[in-house]
Amino acid sequence: MFDCTTYMPTKDTGKSVLSEQVLKQVNRQIANQLNTGVMVLDSAFNIVNWNRFLQVHTDKVSEDIIGQSIFHAFPELPERWLVRKFSAVMQLNTPSFCSWQQRHHLFELPHTRPITTDSEFMAQNCTFLPIETDCKSKLICILIEDVTDVCHYQEQLQKTLDELAQISRIDGLTQIYNRRHWQESLKQEFAKAQRHDKALSLIMLDLDYFKLLNDNYGHQCGDMVLIEVSALISALLRVEDLFGRYGGEEFAIILPETNLAGALELAERICRKVAAVSLSYNDEAIKVTISLGVAQCSGEESSYEDLITHADSALYQAKAQGRNQACTATT
Amino acid sequence: MSEFQLTEDQQDCLQELINIAMGQASDQLARYLDTFVYLKVPSIESVDAKDLLQILSQQQNTMAVVSQGFFGYEGIRGEALLAYQDEDSGRISDLLGYEPGELSEDEQLIDISSILTTTFLNVFARQIGNQMSYNAPKLLPSVQNSMSEHLQQISFSWDLALKVNINYQVTDYSFNCNMILLIPETAIINIKHVLDRILAEF
Amino acid sequence: MSPSVLICDDSNMARKQVLKSLPELWKNSVQTATNGAEALTILRDNSVEVLFLDLTMPGIDGVGVLQGIKKLNLDCSVFVISADIQPEMQAKVKALGAKEFIRKPVKPDILVSHLKNHGLL
Repeated sequence: MFDCTTYMPTKDTGKSVLSEQVLKQVNRQIANQLNTGVMVLDSAFNIVNWNRFLQVHTDKVSEDIIGQSIFHAFPELPERWLVRKFSAVMQLNTPSFCSWQQRHHLFELPHTRPITTDSEFMAQNCTFLPIETDCKSKLICILIEDVTDVCHYQEQLQKTLDELAQISRIDGLTQIYNRRHWQESLKQEFAKAQRHDKALSLIMLDLDYFKLLNDNYGHQCGDMVLIEVSALISALLRVEDLFGRYGGEEFAIILPETNLAGALELAERICRKVAAVSLSYNDEAIKVTISLGVAQCSGEESSYEDLITHADSALYQAKAQGRNQACTATT
Repeated sequence: MSEFQLTEDQQDCLQELINIAMGQASDQLARYLDTFVYLKVPSIESVDAKDLLQILSQQQNTMAVVSQGFFGYEGIRGEALLAYQDEDSGRISDLLGYEPGELSEDEQLIDISSILTTTFLNVFARQIGNQMSYNAPKLLPSVQNSMSEHLQQISFSWDLALKVNINYQVTDYSFNCNMILLIPETAIINIKHVLDRILAEF
Repeated sequence: MSPSVLICDDSNMARKQVLKSLPELWKNSVQTATNGAEALTILRDNSVEVLFLDLTMPGIDGVGVLQGIKKLNLDCSVFVISADIQPEMQAKVKALGAKEFIRKPVKPDILVSHLKNHGLL
């Protein structure tokens, strides 16, 4: 039993400090009040100590846990990966981390939040720290932080942003219409053309040997080419034309009130311009060519998709004929 | 800006401390990876943090950046950025000896970054009689635009950027990354005091 | 009698550290070089008896200097003082003729003990 004056002022500084024993008691209570799990392992990965947070959240009993291998006590842990992490901590004497964004959780602890989340388990940020003591072998301290709230709100935010991106019409890389919006537009133009009996043409185009370009120069070069070619083509179009990115290296242009001859002439002009331009990447000159398929709405099509199919087969023909050219659909 | 400038002696002293830290950290890393690390002289450049964005974007292939906060005594603290180029981030699983598919590429990058940053800073801290603790490492969003924004935000909170170009070459393949230490004004002043203390011994 | 000494390191501070660790008498006959090429020039034209050599230098590095010494068949006791402490590197420099590998930062008592071990003191 200690009396109230259990702190002893040191003779040198005159400041009050707690005695070693009292300090131990204070630290133990702090550890048990923390809203973070604290677990200590020895170098053979047996649990030598843990705090109240873990007792309460794992529903396991200290007598059963202390002295056991952590992998035996928590069989859900990815053993191979975790052993590697522990080894790094001990060998390099540096901390290691695992955030909820890498792995949602390591320990299967039920979360206690009133909100419904996607997972029944607590989302965790874990820290692994090397501990050096007077005893010869090293210890590892695992800190387990409950970040279920953070995880939940972050996921909500991401969902909203994704929806927003969906609603948005623009392809991030090239800044022209994305496929979904372009296709919607084609649907509308097709209907309009049919309704008012107006001409409508379509150009489907594709970069030649794009995969080879990516393999040789890297994806960043490929991206640059897509951006430059899109910009070049955009500059050649009229305000009423609708230019979109149809696929990775595939593009498409809707040409309202344009007949086949006019569309072909434009396609050939685009083809020449792209072949003529000299792009540069890392001080190397890059040349690209495109193949184009042109089709006009004939009135026979049952849907706008048929028009795409026709233009596509013309594109295929252009490829087969040696690329770097424009072809019309031969019905 | 002139307060941030190091004298030639201070620069030389800092370079030497970093060399020693690099040597020991590389040795630790080599033991851990069970390989041999070719050591090249790390070049150091101190730049105004506001110019950081420009500097990083000059290196065209910057594909990924991992950031980790570090805290020491005497106000010596900051943020360490490790910038990787496209080609290198793919090789890391080989380097760390992971099975294919065992770990996501992001996780591998974060792991190696934490190891590189903490081993180096631990040794560096010891050289100057200090000790570091760390935040969890974060992978900055990799889309070009949002990375620039994030970097811009970061650079406004810090005053000085110390760019340490580390080139790790590990037996069979070379693996290159740039480490940038972002330090606030108070830390720079403290570091200068430490450097002067060390220089005074000679 | 103090031998002729050469300290080769690109860092001014490192050179000072070595100089400070030398026995008092030796400090009078010390030359310095800031890179490998400079060191080899000095070694070729003078008779340097003891060389304290850094490994990581731009241009001709420490290994390059050791190879140069071997090629020129120079009679010189080389002590490598380096930050690169990997065992493979230590073995390599010894195989190239270095008497000893010393970790940076160098300390006077360690340097002196190595010099004694090799009969230079």
